[in-house]
Amino acid sequence: MKARSGFWISVVGLTLVAASIAVAAETTTTTAALEPTASDPALAIKGRTLYATNCVHCHGVNMVTPGTVAFDLREFPHDDHARFVHSVTNGKNNRMPPWGDILKPDEIDALWAYVLTGGKL
Amino acid sequence: MRRLLTAAGLVACSMTAAHAQTAQELTKTDTHYVLNYGMDYGQQRYSPLTQINADTVKRLVPAWNLSYDDSRSEESQPLVYNGVLYVTTNSATIAVDAKTGKQIWKTKVEYPPETPRVVCCGIINRGAALYEGKIIRGTLDAKLVALDAKTGKVLWKSDVADMKAGYTMTGAPQIADGVIMTGISGAEFGTRDFIDGWDPADGKHLWRTYTVPLPNEKGGDTWPGDTAKYGGGSTWITGSFDPELHTVYWGIGNPGPFNASGRKGDNLYTCSVLALDPKTGAIKWHYQFSPNNPFDYDSVAEMILSTIDVKGTPTKVLIDANRNGFIYVLDRTNGKLIAANPYVKVNWASSVDLATGRPVETDVSTKARAGEMVDIYPSILGGKNWEPGSFDAKRGLAFYNTLNFGGHYKAVPAEYKQGEWYVGMDLSNPWAWPEGPRGYLKAVDPMTGKAKWEAPSDIPRFSGVLSTGGGVVFSGQLTGEFEAFNSDTGEKLWSFKTGSGIEGQPITWEQDGEQYVAVSVGIGGVYSLFSGDERLAAVPPGGSLWAFKLLK
Repeated sequence: MKARSGFWISVVGLTLVAASIAVAAETTTTTAALEPTASDPALAIKGRTLYATNCVHCHGVNMVTPGTVAFDLREFPHDDHARFVHSVTNGKNNRMPPWGDILKPDEIDALWAYVLTGGKL
Repeated sequence: MRRLLTAAGLVACSMTAAHAQTAQELTKTDTHYVLNYGMDYGQQRYSPLTQINADTVKRLVPAWNLSYDDSRSEESQPLVYNGVLYVTTNSATIAVDAKTGKQIWKTKVEYPPETPRVVCCGIINRGAALYEGKIIRGTLDAKLVALDAKTGKVLWKSDVADMKAGYTMTGAPQIADGVIMTGISGAEFGTRDFIDGWDPADGKHLWRTYTVPLPNEKGGDTWPGDTAKYGGGSTWITGSFDPELHTVYWGIGNPGPFNASGRKGDNLYTCSVLALDPKTGAIKWHYQFSPNNPFDYDSVAEMILSTIDVKGTPTKVLIDANRNGFIYVLDRTNGKLIAANPYVKVNWASSVDLATGRPVETDVSTKARAGEMVDIYPSILGGKNWEPGSFDAKRGLAFYNTLNFGGHYKAVPAEYKQGEWYVGMDLSNPWAWPEGPRGYLKAVDPMTGKAKWEAPSDIPRFSGVLSTGGGVVFSGQLTGEFEAFNSDTGEKLWSFKTGSGIEGQPITWEQDGEQYVAVSVGIGGVYSLFSGDERLAAVPPGGSLWAFKLLK
């Protein structure tokens, strides 16, 4: 529970930092974070392609998974873009591998747009 | 001379002797030991032990359970030598007191956190080899490690391949004619794959045989342009060994990408079995099950070696229940096809031509090659996936966990990028599920493919199979039940619910007059990742090792 609280504090912190330094430069990202359920269809289609080459072999076909072996992305909170970017970039819990050296920020945003569709694109 | 030296060693140092283990012992079938991947060099996964039998198995109870402190897929087959059990996970190598289940030593395995990016089908290690006091294993990031069997101390470590290029290791090494042999994974990531030979003394690299020849090499004309460079042919399951013929039989995986339109030709040696000289890696013969395959009919799974009666003549054969849905019997002295018959529903080919050894493809394959969407049987997961079967030579039956579903297949363009999925198949709707059971444990006659009995399962079984002289067949469910069946009738005799799904490979051995059965437990393999079977949401991961024996 403690670790969980710490995690949320750091996520909030990251969000605030990101918001304060990147409002002007990363309009798309900020918009996605503020309007989480409004997935850009073109971006989501790009995200689906990226998902098929990088994510499907753990997170499942169309994101359908028992959710035990890998995280069920259909359950990912739609109001937590920052957590998504952080997990994809840096990896998580020594299970999710880091992708920051392969996926560019705009590609991670495309994946986020696809995640917002719940795999039903 | 070696025997003499070994005897001298035994006298001189009992501590060393307790952990020595010779080439000669590897060829024996002492029921106190489990020294080989597959229980013996022929990978029959059969034990003559009879204490646990069709009458007594109802008294089978847990002897002990050991946590792996790991929640990945647990598919490792333990080895047993002189009362110590050696087992691997992706994250550790562990020595266990075989009688009490107490951990003797544990040596962690570390690999870069990026590694799972290039693992297609679960974070897995399937086991170790034991040779002259060393435990030898691969790591997920494609390194080969030897540990002191007594202490777990790392003795040497060798680089096999570059993980960032898509190479990983999940299989157990083989020891043949004093050489360590290893395979590699990566065919879903555009790698060009191989089998390696290593010196057990120091991990020195001895030879490499690529499973996909380049244009200037023998067989290279079966690949157009530079397609061989990304042609796959992985070798992720351990080959079998015939010490009399000095030949290792190693199954070769699918070509890359699945989409076959850009690689016209047979694409040697993908979807084949290679007969190799373990001293040099030279190919003695090959047999290709599925030329130019578009359907991921990877042929790495266990090659069972036995001597069976063929038209009145005892014949050294190799038995392979191939992913493509046919069960093959080959003369392993020369690679000649003896029999090939379907053991599950097959629609991509009508038969296998016994004269040419080639499949007779149907219009389903023709349409798939033309880019049309087709319903294909078996699916890309095969009639049987990697999970090894067992052969009871006395009964003439091979026991397999078979898959009872097809797939929707459509080839799409694939673009190679290093370290990324390179498949070329539309995965948006890959499965054609049946009403009812998705899998059967079957008792198959290898010469006909016909089942003497079959035990259905709604969620298919993905564990290894073990059969015994007691007339009992052991297997596991993805929902955690470890089960025993009557070898003759398929009647379920016993079941015990473990704490996670079973993908491990059961073994049995004898210790202090008692017969033990053990199996690794822990879900996380290919079916749980790709099937989208949400019934498995109720099966938590969590690796551990269970051992059972009869209640006195």
